[in-house]
Amino acid sequence: MNAAVRSVAIVGGGTTAWLCATALKRAFLHRGLDVLVLDLGRSADDPLGRWTLPSLRSIHTLLGIKEGDLIRRTGATFRLGTEHRSWQGDASRFVQMHGELGIEINGAPFEKYLALRTLSGRPEDIEDYSLAAVAARTGKFARPTESQNALTSSFTYGLHLDDSAYCEYLREYAQRLGVRRVNSQLHDVLLKDGNVNALVLPNGERIHADYFLDCSGQQALVMNRVGGSDRQDWSAWLRNDRMVSTRAFAIDDPPAVTRTDATDIGWLWRIPLAHSSVAGYIYSSEFCNDNEAIRQLRQYAPCISEPMVCHLRQSRRTRPWTRNCIAIGSSAVELEPLVGADLHIVQLGIATLIELFPLDTHAAVEATEYNRIIGEHADALRDFTVAHYRTGAGRSADYWRAMQTEPLPPSLADKLDLYRANGHIVLRDHETFETADWAWLLLGRHCLPDALGLHVRAKLTDAAVSHLTKLRIAIEQLAGSMPRHMDYVRQQR
Amino acid sequence: MSQPLNVVIVGGGTAGWMAAAALSAALAPQHRRVRLIESAEIGTVGVGEATLPHLRMFNRRIGIDERDLMAKTQATFKLGIEFVDWARIGDSYIHPFGAYGSRMAGVPFHQYWLRQRKHGHAAPLEAYSLPIVAARHGKFVLPADDPAALLSSFGYAFQFDASLYAAYLRDFAERRGVVRTEGKVVDVKLRGTDGWIESIKLADGSVIAGDLFIDCSGFRGLLIEQALHTGYEEWTHWLPCDRAVAVPSRNVGPLTPYTRATAREAGWQWRIPLQHRTGNGYVYSSHFISDDAAAQKLLSRLDGEVLGTPRFLSFVAGRRRKTWNKNCVAVGLAGGFLEPLESTSIYLIQIAITTLIDYLAATSGFDARIVDAYNRWIDMEYDRVRDFLILHYHANQREDSPLWNHCRTMELPDTLAHRLELFRHRGRVITYKDGLFLEASWLAVYFGQRVMPTGYDSLADAMGAAELDRRTRTMREQIEQTVAHMPTHDRFLSTYCPANSEAAHA
Repeated sequence: MNAAVRSVAIVGGGTTAWLCATALKRAFLHRGLDVLVLDLGRSADDPLGRWTLPSLRSIHTLLGIKEGDLIRRTGATFRLGTEHRSWQGDASRFVQMHGELGIEINGAPFEKYLALRTLSGRPEDIEDYSLAAVAARTGKFARPTESQNALTSSFTYGLHLDDSAYCEYLREYAQRLGVRRVNSQLHDVLLKDGNVNALVLPNGERIHADYFLDCSGQQALVMNRVGGSDRQDWSAWLRNDRMVSTRAFAIDDPPAVTRTDATDIGWLWRIPLAHSSVAGYIYSSEFCNDNEAIRQLRQYAPCISEPMVCHLRQSRRTRPWTRNCIAIGSSAVELEPLVGADLHIVQLGIATLIELFPLDTHAAVEATEYNRIIGEHADALRDFTVAHYRTGAGRSADYWRAMQTEPLPPSLADKLDLYRANGHIVLRDHETFETADWAWLLLGRHCLPDALGLHVRAKLTDAAVSHLTKLRIAIEQLAGSMPRHMDYVRQQR
Repeated sequence: MSQPLNVVIVGGGTAGWMAAAALSAALAPQHRRVRLIESAEIGTVGVGEATLPHLRMFNRRIGIDERDLMAKTQATFKLGIEFVDWARIGDSYIHPFGAYGSRMAGVPFHQYWLRQRKHGHAAPLEAYSLPIVAARHGKFVLPADDPAALLSSFGYAFQFDASLYAAYLRDFAERRGVVRTEGKVVDVKLRGTDGWIESIKLADGSVIAGDLFIDCSGFRGLLIEQALHTGYEEWTHWLPCDRAVAVPSRNVGPLTPYTRATAREAGWQWRIPLQHRTGNGYVYSSHFISDDAAAQKLLSRLDGEVLGTPRFLSFVAGRRRKTWNKNCVAVGLAGGFLEPLESTSIYLIQIAITTLIDYLAATSGFDARIVDAYNRWIDMEYDRVRDFLILHYHANQREDSPLWNHCRTMELPDTLAHRLELFRHRGRVITYKDGLFLEASWLAVYFGQRVMPTGYDSLADAMGAAELDRRTRTMREQIEQTVAHMPTHDRFLSTYCPANSEAAHA
């Protein structure tokens, strides 16, 4: 019989490390699990700002974090979705909202109705049928509520976070729960029979633990010693290998949306925070040097800090859990932040680890299962990201043409093939984005199926669509009654 | 779209008529023309059939009134399957249509149960399942709609006469314009250019052309195999049974609201109670028992007087390499065979048809992208059922006969081996989004087959012991009280859907 797990040491000092520490400590308070963070400070690839998926709110709820308090103290704002500009030509735009789209018609999903309208030459504006989109467009926001009116719960939302403020918030919270913190650098990792035995600090002190979480970011300071360079390279599909970001002045009366702007070498982004904003540029060094990218970023947003460039190697580990070490965050998966899933990947990692928390110090079967689940999730997030470059029309610069050359990952090719043939989206077991998310993306990018299923056409031919006008009006009225986004943010307690 | 889709279904029986009924209901009349060819000379396999709750969705989708269907097919209700003598002789467990207990603090109930068991004071797991307790007491009511009510914590299926079911669907389909042609297929003509099926020829010389051919001709696969030579993936090394002998018997005693599967020396015996008789059969491996001996054994193990003579079937466990090949879709036994141990036959027919309907986008020239996606989906469904069936055979502690020794020691598919290892280690069930068998089903069979985890999820330790004992006791008491107030299955049937004499003679 192997010994029970009593301690976990987490290496890293950013949001990933503290989110994991908080979640782990909270989940196993009852057994007095010892959780220690070797706080290395923020790593080079920690972003200044993040945009998150609605799922982050569920971990806040589990941890007992009050969202109003978090927003007030960290200067966060809300996000109903993302507005993508210029991705398909200079004047183009599409939005990716969180939540439902329209209403079912005779049992057929609304996106099929929209596709059919477009196929038959009478396109409609997808945004008119989403409360979230109309609220976003008009600068309004209120949280969804359960009410008689199904529209008020038809959407959901994520957050714009000031990463260092959020990290500090989590750190205080974790320390109140009893997470131990050691401020130091890591000098060496001692291995024993392939497992991590101890972390060695510059002063010679050693930190022992039963399990080690590598949250040190791209450097993967611990995992690289245990698991080596175990990487599935995604760069053939996702060629962006640089990220630069800067703090910028606050945006005046910003809508509750994340904004991206495609260029000839990548894409720019900007998110509103309560007292400032953060802007960044994700691009390919093959097509542009860093100085030129920084120049373009300065043009895009009024920078108030020196833009910092960091490298990106889009890829994932095959075995993020190897021996007694688990890599979470960018030490396991490096993916450009386009779809807002960087903290989601962290959350999946820590939630899956908690569910599969080893019963003893020998956990081979748990590791196999963990790696299977996280691998499928990561691949699905990659596919959703790649689809932003490979569906509908694109831009024409060399960079964009180069992005089109590699055959798609088979999982994405299968999904898009069937979609193009009959409009049907098949989801696999571990996917973050659902049918409605794919519909926003594909219809938004004017990527239409060649035909629709015969049974859908049977449902839609005699569809009474007169009530759709009523739906549009109801959405407009409801959006009109919401407060302005920043007024709502300032009301948070 | 100019021409309607011209669908030719070859073979009546459950698969053929389910396909005809669903296609005629789901597609607009201007989009399809559906014709079904069947021969009275060729009998259908139709015996007593047990179904899964999913069939209710099929009924709803195509607009079948469940009460009417039940009355006309001599149907009874089914809350699960009782497995007798599987892990060891003398054992009995029920695989219920519903969960055990309820999740607490986000942790699956069975993890708490494992914790109590480790401390030596767990009540039997069955006591936490409303459908099992109801089944053991011969009780039944329809589930409640209110998701908060205990009475909504289960589903149900039907046990019905498969030939009456086919007749019922035939009537349904014919009223929606399906044309039935009596005749025996004697030839299949393939198109020279691409080998697609152009037409079939009947014994009377008539030629029937079509865009889409649905092969419901049974094991032999008249179109998919005999004409198109699609190939078959055999699974007999995991599922060695290759024969069945079936015979009905007279009802004795109250009608059980569940199907029974009793493990036998060379396979297993089914018992399916219908309103007018009981369906029985012995599924066996010809490697371990002769046909005569199997029939003898079956006849000596009926509860009531035998009605009719035993009928034999033979089959090979496995699946067609492509269930959609060119312009032919194989449905039912023509597509693959998995023994009816978990009542999956009609489910697999249903999923083939509904997926076909969901995917069909054109009335001719089927898109290879659609065909590939369809085959991937159907393969996934078969593979998941297959693994679940293998578990029943593999996880046994019987040393009384060579079949069981073989199954206990055989090598497993990797997917199942990983599942089992994870469950044995810590009681974790690998769940998935699509395909059959949710967590409760895997739990029922793991525990029923005496696969006992050595550990459990440490999250289940967070709750105080007294609190846990109190909450679990309450769950058991509520189930007991609820079942005490339920009517008997017989009584419920007699008021809800008594079979009328007209249907019995259809």
